[in-house]
Amino acid sequence: MFINEFKIDSSVRLLLPIVIMLWALAAGTGLVSAQEIDFKRDVMPILEERCLDCHGEDEQESGLRLDLRAKMLRGGDSGLPAMVPGKPEKSYLIEVIKHLDEDFKMPPDEDQLPKDEIEVLTRWIMQGAVWPGQMDAVAKEESSHWAFQPVVRPNVPTTPNSNTDDQHSWSHSTIDSFLLKRLASEGLTYSAPADPRLLIRRLSIVLTGLPPTPEETARFLRDYKKGANKAYTALVDRLLDSPHFGERWGQHWLDVIRWAETNGSEANLYRKNAWVYRDYVVRSLNEDKPYDQFVKEQIAGDSMGVGEATGFLVAGPHVPAATVGREPAAIRQARADRMDEIMQTLGASVMGVTIGCARCHNHKFDPITIQDYYAMTAVFQDVEFGSRHPEYSLNHPLRQRGTKLRNQIEALRKELRKLGGWEEDWGAYRELHFKQVTTKAIRIRFKMNNVGLDELEVLGPNEHNKNIASSSRNVKVSGYPLKGTDGRHPIQRVNDNKYGTMAWRAKVDKKGNKRPWVGFEFETLEVINRLRLSSNREYFYGTDYLEKRPFLPRYEYDMEIFTKDGKWQPWIGTWFVNKKLNEKYSHRKKIVTEIQRLIGLLSEEGPRPSFVGRFVRPELTRVLLRGSPESPRDEVMPAGPAIFGGDLGLTSNDGGATRRATFAKWVADSNHPLTARVMVNRLWHHVFGGGIVPTTSDFGKAGAAPTHPDLLDWMAAEFVEPTASNQRPWSIKSMIRMLVISGAFRQSSAPNPKGLKIDAGSALLWRFPPKRNEAEVIRDAILQASGSLDKTVGGRGYRIHNVKKTYAQWEVVDNHGAETWRRMLYQERMRRVDDRMFTAFDFPDCGQVRAKRPVSTTPLQALNLMNSAFVLEQSKRIADRAQRDSPGDQSEAVKRCFGLLLGRMPDKEELDACLSLAREESLSLVARAIINSNEFAFLP
Amino acid sequence: MTNPEQLSSHGRRLLDRRCFIGSAGLSTAGLALASLLDGDGLLADDPQTVSGKSPIRPEIDPNNPYASRKSHFETPAKQVLVIYLPGAVSHVDTFDYKPDLIKLHGQKPPGLPEVTFEGPTGNIAKPFWEFKPRGETGKMVSELLPNLAKQVDDFCFFHSLSTDTSAHPQGENFMNTGFTMEGFPSFGSWVTYALGTENKELPAFVAINDPRGLARSGKNNFGNGFLPAAFQGTDFNAKNPPNNLKRPDSLTAKADRKTIDLLTRLNAKHMEKFPGDSSLAGRIASYELAGKMQTSVPDVMELAGETKATLEHYGVEGGSELRGQYARNCILARRLIEKGVRVVQLFNGSDPSGGNGITNWDSHSNILKTHSMQAEIMDQPTAALIADLKQRGLLENTLVVWATEFGRMPFLQSNGTGRDHNPNAFTCFLTGAGVKRGFSFGESDEFGFRAAVDKTSVYDFNATLLHLMGLDHERLTYYHNGLERRLTNVHGHVVKQVLA
Repeated sequence: MFINEFKIDSSVRLLLPIVIMLWALAAGTGLVSAQEIDFKRDVMPILEERCLDCHGEDEQESGLRLDLRAKMLRGGDSGLPAMVPGKPEKSYLIEVIKHLDEDFKMPPDEDQLPKDEIEVLTRWIMQGAVWPGQMDAVAKEESSHWAFQPVVRPNVPTTPNSNTDDQHSWSHSTIDSFLLKRLASEGLTYSAPADPRLLIRRLSIVLTGLPPTPEETARFLRDYKKGANKAYTALVDRLLDSPHFGERWGQHWLDVIRWAETNGSEANLYRKNAWVYRDYVVRSLNEDKPYDQFVKEQIAGDSMGVGEATGFLVAGPHVPAATVGREPAAIRQARADRMDEIMQTLGASVMGVTIGCARCHNHKFDPITIQDYYAMTAVFQDVEFGSRHPEYSLNHPLRQRGTKLRNQIEALRKELRKLGGWEEDWGAYRELHFKQVTTKAIRIRFKMNNVGLDELEVLGPNEHNKNIASSSRNVKVSGYPLKGTDGRHPIQRVNDNKYGTMAWRAKVDKKGNKRPWVGFEFETLEVINRLRLSSNREYFYGTDYLEKRPFLPRYEYDMEIFTKDGKWQPWIGTWFVNKKLNEKYSHRKKIVTEIQRLIGLLSEEGPRPSFVGRFVRPELTRVLLRGSPESPRDEVMPAGPAIFGGDLGLTSNDGGATRRATFAKWVADSNHPLTARVMVNRLWHHVFGGGIVPTTSDFGKAGAAPTHPDLLDWMAAEFVEPTASNQRPWSIKSMIRMLVISGAFRQSSAPNPKGLKIDAGSALLWRFPPKRNEAEVIRDAILQASGSLDKTVGGRGYRIHNVKKTYAQWEVVDNHGAETWRRMLYQERMRRVDDRMFTAFDFPDCGQVRAKRPVSTTPLQALNLMNSAFVLEQSKRIADRAQRDSPGDQSEAVKRCFGLLLGRMPDKEELDACLSLAREESLSLVARAIINSNEFAFLP
Repeated sequence: MTNPEQLSSHGRRLLDRRCFIGSAGLSTAGLALASLLDGDGLLADDPQTVSGKSPIRPEIDPNNPYASRKSHFETPAKQVLVIYLPGAVSHVDTFDYKPDLIKLHGQKPPGLPEVTFEGPTGNIAKPFWEFKPRGETGKMVSELLPNLAKQVDDFCFFHSLSTDTSAHPQGENFMNTGFTMEGFPSFGSWVTYALGTENKELPAFVAINDPRGLARSGKNNFGNGFLPAAFQGTDFNAKNPPNNLKRPDSLTAKADRKTIDLLTRLNAKHMEKFPGDSSLAGRIASYELAGKMQTSVPDVMELAGETKATLEHYGVEGGSELRGQYARNCILARRLIEKGVRVVQLFNGSDPSGGNGITNWDSHSNILKTHSMQAEIMDQPTAALIADLKQRGLLENTLVVWATEFGRMPFLQSNGTGRDHNPNAFTCFLTGAGVKRGFSFGESDEFGFRAAVDKTSVYDFNATLLHLMGLDHERLTYYHNGLERRLTNVHGHVVKQVLA
């Protein structure tokens, strides 16, 4: 499908100049008075004199050539055609020589061209830009760059030392054949097999981010003795099935898209319930969701029953409206910046193309134009940073949990209904339940003098969650004070279907006897049984952990209904349900409390509004000249980059969801030249510590060349179309399994002089390249060793920060207490905040895409790992655990510390040294020393 | 067993790269390949920056990232002190004298916009403080900053700066990282990445934060962005040492020492299995550096040895409590420069509320009071710091930057008592190594509303700072996500006119 589209595209391009020429000729005949321009006589001398020094054969400033008609049609880096035959007003050349834009005038630093020369050029274009001998020439976008070609499955090389005896069977996967061939060409080969004790440590960390427990190591060593291969493959399968697999690999994915739970920028507000996206990623990886589906869901999950997956699109930072200011240009710029964050996320993670480079001009290195960039923004025009109720299919775990809790709540409500009304606190709003009644109108009379409502909803038993009082149902609203406080907060806001700060605010004189009230008159008789009151529901849904949260007040009020005989009759009141009924029925309070508890659970474990993006009506998308929203140019249709055959047949009339779903299908197509390559390379990077293409998010010309191009393509082919039996297409787990089963993974990491000399970085894999573990691995391993690690998968993260003022920085209040003893994946990911412990270990600040983490070694890491409260407390807990496990025997306790932290026993020298420290000072210092050791810090 | 003392000296020698090459028996060619293949270095054959110039990526040994490195060309400046004033200092009330504002005071501003950042435009307001000619150059400076005013003959002003944003966090990002967006490396981290440091016992880059806390862009202002974490600014001030620097109170010095001895032994034994593995050796060296910092940082923070005259000069006593604290930070800044720390970034303003109820220079209302409060804190200690550096001869090799993110409007905000943000014109100044003295570059228009003569972008400003440090802003690059990234993105021209 892919290639076909591309072909059609090119043939259209070939036809285009001819069409234009015919049209131009026809247009030309309409010009009666104008003198015919002769290119050679009139135009060429001007170009030669004025332009070609900088835009000719030898030099092409700004990528522009004006000595060829085709190049003129294409234009330069700006992405605008220098000349559109017949349309001088659309020709950028004319614009710049006329000095229409103060900031961009040609020729530069010179006076404007003489008027008659401008006139000649304008008329020449008007007359069709006839250029003898070049009328058929067309500048074709094409690329011979390897990564943009279709994947063709290469032949597997025969292994140089094709030893088939059992001794070498560990190094005989297809991957090994490619690797060994390349090594042999450098006079190198694999190192010896890794010590099984180190192998299980390496594998466990790579697959789950957790080192093995001493018991797991012991079991593996026993099995390994009986049959190395069998034991190893069994271990691989067990670890791939572990729920911690998704946590480890989810962390890698979140890095790439710089996902975080705050906005960044000034207020750096918390993104409420954004973590449902993190759980989605972990769950998807654990379920081994096919990668193409994983990609599609993150782009268009709202139409696939996994709404929370679109958290992907809003993973990057954004500046909220309040911080943008009120200047219209700044507001437009901020929106363009948000779109750019989406482009960066998509380009870096799925496509492996630095699409963002084409925001202001054509890409400098890759055949991606500014039109491509804006065509891609057109795909995502309906996405805005914010919260919504994610769309969940019936079998979605959150929805199932929600349904279960709702059923429980409903059962309890049934009990209460027998006893009269009651009130529920849903955080965003309060809901008053009462005995159902049919009425034409209601009145709510408040008992306090100060009321603020962004919405007052009336609900009934017949239409689930439909607001009967909505202004869209021709409901007449009345009340006091009608225009609200200071006449600026009109009562119409209570039923305008808008949540947020635009509220009816009614403050009346406290001493007076008049109190605020709201009346609704329905169009027909309505059956009602609930009221819902809120003051700022949007704010409640959007953010959290702020000192000055909009307060959900408990208003005291009574409600009256309008009887058939035209009288107002009291029906229910808050005082009555909360006080009187409790006095009457002693068991009622317990049920209300239980409902309240279930509501709390629901808002934690069920479907809730979450920061996974919200949708707006897509606006017409235009190319923005030089990336400036103040210079909108031609309209573009939603599409992928043309070089990849990205025409999706979409127009500006298509809805946002359709646009994204169509794009998702295109980008996750098995023939896309990049999607599979980029992903297998990413998996390789996380298994071996470096990619076959080292620039894992840039497969363009500015990126690095692959060290093993054939191997990469073989894996990409195998990924989408597996040849091995029982393998599903796009299976991430199968691919990772293939990598860790290889001999390359199972060899020793010990250096040898020859290898170091030829390939010191071990990129060719003559050894398994050791490296310092990431922040998460170090922290989790310490907690696991002390027996403190809570291994619960998923849910809200743990907090180490304060509750802050809106415009203040987050401060770390507790980064080591018991409530933080979960895997570090669950530490709330805060943009640009130092956690005062592990940020020093290259933990990303989540501001820019982090396709790979740099590994640096700094004294601050040493200080944190030596002196922090976290390490001191955990050292003590490890020592306590070791002593508990070996009462009264200090020597055994030291051994236990080694087992827990390093997965091995100390030798005699080590034991003696440790024992003397333990006896003279304390065992916890032994644990502290081991935590700081290189052996603990490095992936073996 | 390996003698820990021996390993310790070996570890020390590891800090010297040449020595390590010798001891590990590796050829330089092998090492070059190592650093090329290690990480992002493995790139297209002929990488180019967008400007077409070939990039100069400093060769960083990941295990000795702070090794001193050569600049691209020789300049006097070896160190840099950035004094950053968050919140936007009003240029028309300090260094940019506009007599027209006095003439038109109270009138509707002719031809200026109806709405600015926070709302409707008010009437023209004359400077809130009187201007007077100062020094031999006769530079007009207001009464708000009497101490800095005395030194104008040493300063080099930029009066035609303009920025791309009128919001503080983006503005701070832009000034300090070259981008309005989040996540880019700070100026200080670029310089540290390029030049490493001379002093092996103190951090290469220190961020001295305001006593009231971090500025609006928080860690971005001194963060490493996508550069390795080694190049981030270490955050401490005269009051608070770096995080986890101190030996925990629960441990005796002896117990701590013994833990380190045990660690040294464990690492030595482990190292035997990985001969020649530089990443392991590098980590051992980082622990030794950390150990040295535990002495050297408290030493440099200790102001007890400063003379009474110095303390008075800086204004440690006799002013507001905040001035006292800021003055101590200024003394710390001088001590760090004295010790050869490559980059010192000193903040005068924060984000959270505290102190006097004001936090920085953001005077939307009652500018008379709030700018006065800020100036009381900033003026005397800053002036003393610059004078002290000069008197000790440190300005010969130190570039000093005084900067803020934008200016303030020549008119009142909604006819209140303050001035709104002005991204179109603002003033910063430089002094010290390589910079012209008693010089003003560029002019804003007659109201100070817009940069008029020699308009200077933030890119130009940053390009100039790098140039003064001997670095070509178009060639100092780091490959990140498809681009040879620069502090100045794809923009910026060095303002040659300010070079001495």
